Amino acid sequence: MPDATTLRGPRRQACLSLRAKPNPSLPAAVATALGVELPTTPCTHHRAGERGLYWLGPDEWLATAPAGAEDALQAALRSALTGHFAVTDVSGAWRSFNLAGPRAIEVLRKSSPCDFHPRAFAPGRCVQTVFAKATALIAGNADGDFDVITRTSYADYLRRWLEVAALEHPASP
Amino acid sequence: MLEIHCPYCGEPRSEEEFSYAGEAHIRRPQDPAKLDDRAWGDYLHFRSNPRGAHRELWFHAAGCRRYLNVLRDTASYHISQTHRVGESPEDV
Ligand SMILES: [Zn+2]
Repeated sequence: MPDATTLRGPRRQACLSLRAKPNPSLPAAVATALGVELPTTPCTHHRAGERGLYWLGPDEWLATAPAGAEDALQAALRSALTGHFAVTDVSGAWRSFNLAGPRAIEVLRKSSPCDFHPRAFAPGRCVQTVFAKATALIAGNADGDFDVITRTSYADYLRRWLEVAALEHPASP
Repeated sequence: MLEIHCPYCGEPRSEEEFSYAGEAHIRRPQDPAKLDDRAWGDYLHFRSNPRGAHRELWFHAAGCRRYLNVLRDTASYHISQTHRVGESPEDV
């Protein structure tokens, strides 16, 4: 099926919570440690290869990387950052889904009040919002696919929800 | 359903993402031990509950998880401004 929706996950990634008041040296320090540019515009994220960095609030970001990288990235952040900050390994708290295909947007529309039209939700945008009566962080990627990052305790439920929401245009077997 | 402009996210978001956190700008008494029961009770339990302009705290619970100030008309539900906690509200 050419318009099939591909659903992957839930997948465990390395996830680090970064809390720091923005200051002039912060973007360079984070970029040095993670190899990803710090998103300072609200509701945006940056990616570099398999790594992602998501704006969660004016002094809060979520860094993601393939599972296993958490200790090295945490150490890199701790040695690069100065001043008052907090870096916490929250890998166990989050699970990631990926939705791809030309009709993935319709699956999102069934699940959340946010506007996912490409005019409103360009690649690079990320929102934390209500999602299928749970909550999730939804990010639009450059290839037109979406990452849905949710609490681990919601992951089983959301997997089932997303499967049913994509039934109208399922992935080919 | 209201749309509330979150001053941290910088955009209007659905009311579903927010929770209401009561009247804003209620100052905790400097020295609660010096208050009599009536004054302490007033601080804890009594709110202005106006018909019209009302300064409120809201929490962007499903979004950026920050508290924000909202000026809302309790009769029309019209929200005339929102601003960050700690910023001064404009006079109305
Ligand atoms: Zn917000």
